[in-house]
Amino acid sequence: MANKRNLTAGTVIAAVVLGILVWRPTVLIYGLQAAGLYASIAIPMGLILGIVHIVNLAHGEFMMVASYLTYMICRSTGMDPYLALVPVAAITAAFGFGIYKLTIRRALKAPELNQLILTFGLAILLTQAANLLFTSQTRKLSFDYVSASVDIGELSFGVYNFVFVALALFMVLGLRLFLARTKVGKAALAVGQNPRGAAIVGIDVDRAYALTFALASALVGMMGAVFITRSSIFPAVGSPFTMKSFCLIAMAGVGNIPGILASSVLLGVSENVLKAFRGTRDWADIVFFVLIITVILGRSIRGKKT
Amino acid sequence: MKRNTQFAAAGAVLMAALPAFLGAYPLNVARSVMTYMALAVSWDMLLRSGQISFGIAGLFGLGSYASALLVLRAGMDPVLSLVFATFFTGAVAWILGFAVLRLRAMYFSITTLALAEIFRIILHNLHDFSGGPEGVVLPGVIFGGDAHALYWLCLGGLIITLGVSWYFERSKMHLALTAIRNDETSARSSGVDIFRFLLIAFTVTSTLQGMMGAIQVQSYGFTTPETAFDANFTLLPLAMALLGGIHSTLGPMAGAVLLGIASEWLKLKIPYGHLVVYGIIIVLVILLMPRGLVGLARKRLTGRRA
Repeated sequence: MANKRNLTAGTVIAAVVLGILVWRPTVLIYGLQAAGLYASIAIPMGLILGIVHIVNLAHGEFMMVASYLTYMICRSTGMDPYLALVPVAAITAAFGFGIYKLTIRRALKAPELNQLILTFGLAILLTQAANLLFTSQTRKLSFDYVSASVDIGELSFGVYNFVFVALALFMVLGLRLFLARTKVGKAALAVGQNPRGAAIVGIDVDRAYALTFALASALVGMMGAVFITRSSIFPAVGSPFTMKSFCLIAMAGVGNIPGILASSVLLGVSENVLKAFRGTRDWADIVFFVLIITVILGRSIRGKKT
Repeated sequence: MKRNTQFAAAGAVLMAALPAFLGAYPLNVARSVMTYMALAVSWDMLLRSGQISFGIAGLFGLGSYASALLVLRAGMDPVLSLVFATFFTGAVAWILGFAVLRLRAMYFSITTLALAEIFRIILHNLHDFSGGPEGVVLPGVIFGGDAHALYWLCLGGLIITLGVSWYFERSKMHLALTAIRNDETSARSSGVDIFRFLLIAFTVTSTLQGMMGAIQVQSYGFTTPETAFDANFTLLPLAMALLGGIHSTLGPMAGAVLLGIASEWLKLKIPYGHLVVYGIIIVLVILLMPRGLVGLARKRLTGRRA
């Protein structure tokens, strides 16, 4: 029964994808690129949510901080962001570790309300601190390789943004290896599944949480470094991504990191379908919010039944 | 009990007489503080049931636009439009409540935030009806822009909000909401109709937020999607309620007075990023005194752990 349903769902999806591919190939291409961008921001947040069980509402702001850091490093040393990626990831890892130790750790036992509001406060703090230091003026680094494009037949499209798809795939594979193969990763996974049980068998829960936080911050730091090669940054640049990330995770189901890829593709492609038409272009933003509400409500209704 | 009523009456009379002593600028500040106070108290009213709404700005903006568009498109009298906009927001919240109130914890919070964004995008894109990104300009300010009348109007909105909150604290709503917050399962098994009470609380608080939005737009005579749905209308009331002390009427009031006046002062001192102070306050309050100032004072006064 379930198999049959999966099969029909698969056929429908394949038909839709094929239809779009024939009708407007750029929709699929740009949709996938957008999906890569969404996924690479959402995956580190999914890692924190899956293991530490905290919704980090300052997640997009972590990326914003990383982007500004990259901007400063590249401006002062003339380094390429892909080179600066390494020190930036190291610094944001330390930053995430510090934030965990100073704030999050103290709210772990508190009600969920306090955790949400705490990270919400951190988000405001980081955005406004950036506002204070850099003003709200947009900053940009320009590179030639960003405008690389490919022509296939009469179709021409930018390929640079596929770097986000690569980054997302790298994160999923890397995390899978880390969580399944390394001792630290296995410990983190165990803590995520059952903190008390993990503590009983001698795993240092606090250390696992701190490491997870640092690792996720390093990943989002890498993302921030890559992000600035393509987009202008300003203090509020990260905040929309926090909510998008959360929603992608909620769609995929908490703890399901590869699922984030699938929900990102769904979001990226459907946004680009609307963007393909002049009349509906302005409405592309709304897809996302409608999608979240449908998915969250759908889940809650289905959850009630079973 | 009786003394409290006398205090409240004396406070209301004092507040109503304030325009006789103050100039235009302090009155303007007072109006902004009162608006935020009403929003903070109404947010707290729903919080007493354990549901954290991040959608204050959405309902506030909805009320603003409803009132403005009723005057512009239907030629309604401004005072009458306040009433209609208030009930319109309430009706929308009531309908949405059937879906949204199935959700709990972070799913509820994120969905309210998403709804606020959906309202904003719809009004942003309906160029012909809502004026699009440029917003709407009313033919005139309510009461011919008389500063005293505007002050009393805002005070009226605040007094209604405080009255409802006071009623919530003293009726069986209080018991029901507290029971839901503490333990839904045991509340249900004691015969509390959870959904009905949540729906009442959600509808009433949304109505109040819409009312303040309507009052705001009529007192300024114009609005845009970005000002009506400004994230600050979610952020500041949250910070105020937290600082003052949640789950009470007095706490959010105290927080609003303190932060409202402080922010006016900071706005003059630090034009960019004065909101950083709000972020710091939220983080510190959550970590150091989760019960807020009122909770702290109460602990000091009674000399025992509350």
